[in-house]
Amino acid sequence: MLLGIDVGGTFTDAVVIRNGKILASAKTPTTHYELLNGIITAIDKVLAKINLREVKRVALSTTIVTNALVEGKIDKVALLLLPGPGLNLAGLTPAQPYFLSGYTDHRGREQAAPVKDEVVAVCREIKDCKAVAVAGKFAVRNPAQEQVVAGWAGECLKPAHITLGAELSGALNYLRRVNSAYYNSAVWRIFTNFAVAIEAALAERGVAAPVYILKADGGTLPLAAAKARPVEAIFTGPAASVLGIMALAAPEGPAVSLDIGGTTTDIALWQNGAPLFAPGGARVNGFPTAVRSFWLRSVGVGGDSYVRRENGRIAVGPMRRGPAMANGGPEPAVTDALIVAGLIDYGDVALARQAMTKVAATGQTPEDAAWEALRTAADIVCQAIRDMLAEQAAMPVYKVEDIVYGEKFIPKLVIGVGGAALGLAPLVAEQMELPWQVPPGHMVANAVGAASARQTTEITLRADTAQGFYTVPELGIKRDIDRRRFTLDDAWAAADNHLAERAAAGGLTEATCHSERLYEEEFNVIRGFNTIGKIITCKLQLKPGVLTQVTAQEVGQ
Amino acid sequence: MTGKSLGLVFFPAFDWAITPSHPEREERLLYTRDQIVEEGLLDLPAIREYRPRLAQIQDAERVHIGVPDIASLITDAHLVSAGGAITAAEAVMHREVNRAFALVRPPGHHAMRVVHGTRGFCTINIEAIMVEYLRRYYGLNRVAIVDTDVHHGDGTQDIFYHDPDTLFISFHQDGRTLYPGTGAIHEMGSPGALCSTVNIPLPPGTTDAGLHYVLDNLVLPVLEDFKPDIIINSAGQDNHYSDPLANMAVTAQGYALLAEKLKADIAVLEGGYSIEDALPYVNTGIILAMAGLDYSRVIEPDIARCPRQSDANTRYIAKLVTEWQEIWHARNKLRHEAVAKAGDFWQRRRGIYYDDSGIQEQRTETVRLCPRCHGYLTISTQAEGYPFGRKSAFAAIIPRNACPVCRNQAHDAVQKAKKEGRHDHCFIQDKDKDTLEHI
Repeated sequence: MLLGIDVGGTFTDAVVIRNGKILASAKTPTTHYELLNGIITAIDKVLAKINLREVKRVALSTTIVTNALVEGKIDKVALLLLPGPGLNLAGLTPAQPYFLSGYTDHRGREQAAPVKDEVVAVCREIKDCKAVAVAGKFAVRNPAQEQVVAGWAGECLKPAHITLGAELSGALNYLRRVNSAYYNSAVWRIFTNFAVAIEAALAERGVAAPVYILKADGGTLPLAAAKARPVEAIFTGPAASVLGIMALAAPEGPAVSLDIGGTTTDIALWQNGAPLFAPGGARVNGFPTAVRSFWLRSVGVGGDSYVRRENGRIAVGPMRRGPAMANGGPEPAVTDALIVAGLIDYGDVALARQAMTKVAATGQTPEDAAWEALRTAADIVCQAIRDMLAEQAAMPVYKVEDIVYGEKFIPKLVIGVGGAALGLAPLVAEQMELPWQVPPGHMVANAVGAASARQTTEITLRADTAQGFYTVPELGIKRDIDRRRFTLDDAWAAADNHLAERAAAGGLTEATCHSERLYEEEFNVIRGFNTIGKIITCKLQLKPGVLTQVTAQEVGQ
Repeated sequence: MTGKSLGLVFFPAFDWAITPSHPEREERLLYTRDQIVEEGLLDLPAIREYRPRLAQIQDAERVHIGVPDIASLITDAHLVSAGGAITAAEAVMHREVNRAFALVRPPGHHAMRVVHGTRGFCTINIEAIMVEYLRRYYGLNRVAIVDTDVHHGDGTQDIFYHDPDTLFISFHQDGRTLYPGTGAIHEMGSPGALCSTVNIPLPPGTTDAGLHYVLDNLVLPVLEDFKPDIIINSAGQDNHYSDPLANMAVTAQGYALLAEKLKADIAVLEGGYSIEDALPYVNTGIILAMAGLDYSRVIEPDIARCPRQSDANTRYIAKLVTEWQEIWHARNKLRHEAVAKAGDFWQRRRGIYYDDSGIQEQRTETVRLCPRCHGYLTISTQAEGYPFGRKSAFAAIIPRNACPVCRNQAHDAVQKAKKEGRHDHCFIQDKDKDTLEHI
């Protein structure tokens, strides 16, 4: 039995899933200032008739990290950087960094050693910092300098937490790793406190199952591991909905999914049964980070979006003026249009008609006004989809064959979930000239997604046979290899082992090791006109996905 | 303008090489990719990355006469490289960005008008294809190309040698000491286009100081006088002190400052074969400079290796610059004299060696010095090599805005050559009609 909880902007949803069926679901208002209260209420409601001992797994999609960032409830972080030569980072990071000597080059060779006295001097200056982040350029090619500096900072400051940039992401992009490391340290305390409170609350209720936190890439992390990498728990709401779609609809071919909520619609693109990832990673407070996340676009169109007439034409969103008039709100909203158009049967029809009369042009019937509003709303969503498709088509590639033979992404299906999905998704699909699907259970898709999300993890192995070593930055590993014998196959074998180790170390115990090769690259290293070695890169992941497909008989309220 | 100031077409062509250990090989931009991705340059709001398009054969044939045809001499990689340059140019023309840098390979500046094979790692001239594309579709006329590659841009020079509307400036390591051996001061363009080719052969060991002396005292003032509609930088990066194929001593800072001063609208990567020690830093420096960002921290880890410029070189460079300044000031007079001396036709014969393909070509070029237009051009070419065999061709080129006399004479010349039957192939390239006909 899986328990999933999704803390949304308005509601906190909880579901219990057994054998792929939704057994119970509950909805309570989200308690923004005391997040835990709402979560506990939702859990108590959904578990009311459930045998607690049968709960084998609790998974939580929470806004704790996102809120902490938005509200600025974050800790002061000592940001220690080893930038080497290159871009001047002044003004590009979320906090004022301390620049240290020491530089590792693009092949992971130490070009200048870090200086202990510098680190000691900085630590004296920042005595009050309880959180530290250390990031070195090209530390993903050789994590040694980050580790040395973190060791010195640990000795001097005795901080509560130190984040190393290369352990958060094995991908190149120093700026993103710097920002990730900073945010990770900045939210560490608030997340850890939250995690402890959740554990205590569950224990108090007799739920002994392990607790997992959803990540932005749709995977889950055991709570213990999440405490070390809390920054990965941002933007889990949209990730939960994407996972929910995976569990409820399992799209195989290329598809577009829409999570149509109260104020926004989140759009994702799907290929081979999985949503596309954001290139590089998520943006946090406007700063690019290395946090892996789904590629989502949010547009200001939802059930509560404000509908009015502007310069003779109907306008929709992006703002919300409260609920729809049919639900007691003050101004016309998309939901009113859906009711008048006969697409949903919900709320006060007379008030909805009144709303549409208010926005109707002279001589226009409320029905016609409703359809005009819905077409406008669908237009906005369709335009955003077209923009995403254009962006996808313009995505840079680095091989000739990808330019000449690269296939265009053309979606074949529109999938809708969320409150207004039954009304809006078909309209969007009609405009895109595509079939559509709104799976049963779409009202609690997020909680279903949280409940059923599988663990994911990713590692990057890069071998440089000319120099005779490989590194796995996420694990802080640098290991010697046989210069002449090490091959691409050996690299994959080593990557497989390290991924299994990492999964075990992170407490990823479930038998769900669907590892997937993300990327491989092999280049010669040439001196004069002779090949003296190879540079091999392998990226491997436990694929994001769901533990089980979920079917819902009817929508839980 | 969207607030983006630099458009970047980054196309390392990781699946294309001349041969696996050739300097122009798959991993040539590997370390550059590592550096620019690691720096996070593609995430900066001032930089927008573009995916290159595929150029059309017609885009190449607007410039080149391939024997027997260009399509059979090139690979898709060449069309992506030329297409990348066009993509960069269009991003600027559409004002999506202030400037653009096509960081693409394979390079092109040794590819001449007639193409029998590959020379100096180049088969088609990606800048020239881009320039003629801009003229065709964007109505540009006066174009300045500044070739900052350490090797003389002999292909680009060849293509624009008779065109007074294209200013070609090349500074390079003196041809007496480096491939392709050309690029002496006296190669100034044919009489009708005299001084629209500006060659500045520099002594081995020239440093940032020497380079910037040439830039400040000659290149920038000449550009100022020429008043081009657009400035293109043929951005070779092999003047670097660590380059294995040349002997200069320029640094990443020297290159970045050059990019800042030159303010090229479009830069297109050419050579640069110190793929590990120079390209990552030089490219990062140029990208930052073109995007208007701080590049002061882009310094090679082994900068201490960079030699200083000798006093003899400093004096030599100063003399060279003075000589050119004098020529430049007298350019109108010199052009009149040259045209008067040449009469109706100007002709040159030369041998061209294709080092990558092992082909030796003999070429005779005849241009009509027409009082009403840029004058039509005929080229007679014979090439041979093993296992290439022998091929010959005759081509007549009708320039943009050609007068009726030149147009008729060009057609007559091809028909005559065809009748005589001494060439395997006959072509007529018509710039106004945008056609290349195999007669």
